[in-house]
Amino acid sequence: MRTTPFLADRSGKQIDVVAVIERYGLLAFCAVLVLLTAAVSPAFRSSTNLQNVLTNVAPLAIIVLGQSMVILVRGFDLSVSSVMATAAVIATQFEGAGGLAFPLTLLVTLVMSLIVGLANGFLVTKRDMSPFLATLATMIVLQGLRFAWTRGAPSGRVPPELQLIGAGQFFGVPVNLLVLAVLTLIVWVALAKTPFGRRVYMVGGGPRAAELVGVNVDRTVIACYVASAVLAGIGGLVLVGYVSGVDNWVGRGYELDSIVAAVMGGVALSGGRGSVLGGILGAFLLTVIFNIVLLLGFPVQLQFVVKGLIIILAMAVYRLGGGAAG
Amino acid sequence: MIGYFRRNPALLGVLSLIVLLTVIGCLFSKDFRSVQNFQNVFEQSAPLAFTALGQTVVIITRGIDLSIDAQIALLSSLASGIVDSDAQRAIPVVLGVLALGVIIGLITGGLIVALRIHALIVTLGMAAILQGLALLYTLTPVGGIPDGYDFFGYGRVLGVPVGMALAVVLFAIVGFVLTYTRLGRQIYAFGGDPRAATMAGLPTTRVILFTYCLMGLLTAVTAVFLVSRLGVGNPVADGGFNLGSITAVVIGGTMLTGGRGSVLGTLLGVFMVQLLNNLLNFLDVSTFYQWMIQGAIVIVAVSLYVERRRTRA
Repeated sequence: MRTTPFLADRSGKQIDVVAVIERYGLLAFCAVLVLLTAAVSPAFRSSTNLQNVLTNVAPLAIIVLGQSMVILVRGFDLSVSSVMATAAVIATQFEGAGGLAFPLTLLVTLVMSLIVGLANGFLVTKRDMSPFLATLATMIVLQGLRFAWTRGAPSGRVPPELQLIGAGQFFGVPVNLLVLAVLTLIVWVALAKTPFGRRVYMVGGGPRAAELVGVNVDRTVIACYVASAVLAGIGGLVLVGYVSGVDNWVGRGYELDSIVAAVMGGVALSGGRGSVLGGILGAFLLTVIFNIVLLLGFPVQLQFVVKGLIIILAMAVYRLGGGAAG
Repeated sequence: MIGYFRRNPALLGVLSLIVLLTVIGCLFSKDFRSVQNFQNVFEQSAPLAFTALGQTVVIITRGIDLSIDAQIALLSSLASGIVDSDAQRAIPVVLGVLALGVIIGLITGGLIVALRIHALIVTLGMAAILQGLALLYTLTPVGGIPDGYDFFGYGRVLGVPVGMALAVVLFAIVGFVLTYTRLGRQIYAFGGDPRAATMAGLPTTRVILFTYCLMGLLTAVTAVFLVSRLGVGNPVADGGFNLGSITAVVIGGTMLTGGRGSVLGTLLGVFMVQLLNNLLNFLDVSTFYQWMIQGAIVIVAVSLYVERRRTRA
C-alpha cells in the first residue's frame, strides 16, 4: 500500500501511526461500521433509511456544534436540553398569530437563548462556578419556569414553516441537513479562520497564558456559552419541527449525547483541542449506531447497551492511539 | 470547634440554613413541626444520603458518577425479581446485589484507570449499558419482597429510622477513613493534584478503584433500601440520584475541582435538600417552583463558596 505524501511529509518519518489514528481513527471506525452494516442489512442501505438517518442527525449535530465550542473553552453545557424543550414550547405559543407565528417564534427563542447563554457564561466566568453546576442550575431553573408556564401540559401546533424545516426535503435533501450545513460552516469559519476562533483555542489551551497575552478570557468564554444556547434554541426548533408535536421534554438526553458525540469526535474535555467537524462526525456515528441496532432487529433495550459499549470502545480506540480522549 | 467551622465555612452556612428552614417551617405549618414529620424527613433522606456519600468520595478524587440511577434500576429490579417474595432467598440475594454493586464499581474504576478517560464519559457509557441490561431483564417492575423485609425501609429502632441510622454509621466510617487513615490522605492528595500524587509514588490505581467500588457498594445499598421501601424494584425508575447527589455534595461545600470536602458537609447538604422539599410540600408550593428554588439554591450556595481557581489554570 502506498503512503500518501501528505502523511509522510508531515511526520518526517514514514507514517506517524499515532497521528493517523488520532486524526482518522473515528472516521475509519465509522466507515467500517457503515460498510459492514450495509453489507449485512439491505434495510440499512435502502435510500429511505439513509434519508431517515440524515434527517435524524441534524438536531443532535446542531447541538454538538455549540457543545463543542463550550468544551473547547474547558466547559460543559448541560442546559441545552432544557433550552431545546423551552424553544419547542415557545414554537407552539403563537398559534393565533397566523403568518407572524414563525418570526415571533424565532425572535422569542433567540431572546430566551441569549438570556440562558449569558447566565451560564456569567456564572462560569464572573462567579467562577464549575460549568457542570452552573449549567445544571440554569437547566433546572428553566425547567421549572417552563413547567410553571405550561402547567405541566404543553399543547398547540407548530408553525408550518418549522415543520418544513424539520421534516421537509429540498430536491431529496432534508431541509434540516441544509440548516446544519449552514450552521456548521458559520461555526467552522468562526473557529478556524477568525481571531475569535484563535482566542477560543488559546483560552482552552491555557486560560492564564491567554489572559497574559491580552485575551479577554471571560468575554471569550461567555461568547461560547451564548453560542451554545443559541444553537440549542435552533436545534430545539428544528427538532420540534421534525416531531411536530410538543411536550415538556423535547430534546431530553441531548445534553449528554452531545457531550459524548463531541468527545467521540476528538474534542478534548480538557479544552483547547478538537474541531467541530469531528464533533459532527461523532453525532453522525451515534445516530448511525442507534439506527443499526434497530435495523438489525435487536430489541430496543439493547440499543442502550450497544450505545454504552460503543462509547467506551471508541474512547479506547482513541486512547490506544494516544489521542485526546480525556 | 470554632476553628473547625472557620476552616469549613460551608458547614456553618448549611447549618444556619437548616435552622432557618426549621424555624420557618415550625412557624408556618402545624404538620411540619410534628415529631412524626421529622422522622419522615430522616427516613426519606436515607437513599440520597447513601448515594451522596459515595459521590462525595468520588468527587474529592476529581471524578463524578452519572451511572447511579441506571445502576439502581438494574440492581433493584434484579433484587426484587430474583427474591420474588421468597424469604429464603432474601439474604443471599441482598449479599449478591451488594457484591454486584462492588463489581460494577470495579469495572467503572478499572475503565477510568486503564483507558484514562474522563469519569464523566465512562460513567455515561456505563449508565447506558446498565440501563439497557435492566430493561433486557424486565420492562416492568417484577417480583416482590417477603413479609418482614420492609424493616430496612420503614423500621424504627427507639424511634430512629433504620435506614437513616445505617446512613449515619456509614458516614461516620467513611469520614473516619478519610480523616484518619493513610487511604484517606491518599484520596485527598490525589484529588488535590493527581500528577503530584502520582509522582510522589501514591498507589493512584488503588485509590481510584477504591472510590468507585465504594460508590458501587453504596449505590447497591440504596437499591436494596428502595426495594425494601417500595416493595418492588423498578427498571425505568429515574430517582434523580445522579444530579441529586451532586447537588447535596456541592451544597455541603465539596468542590467539583477535587481535593477538598467533607462527608459531614454532605450529610448536612442532604438534610437541607430534604428539609426544603418537605417544607415546600407543606407550604403547597408546586413541584415546578420547587425545581426553580433548588436551582437557585445551587447557584447561591456555589457562588458563596467559590475560590479563585482560574488563576491556577
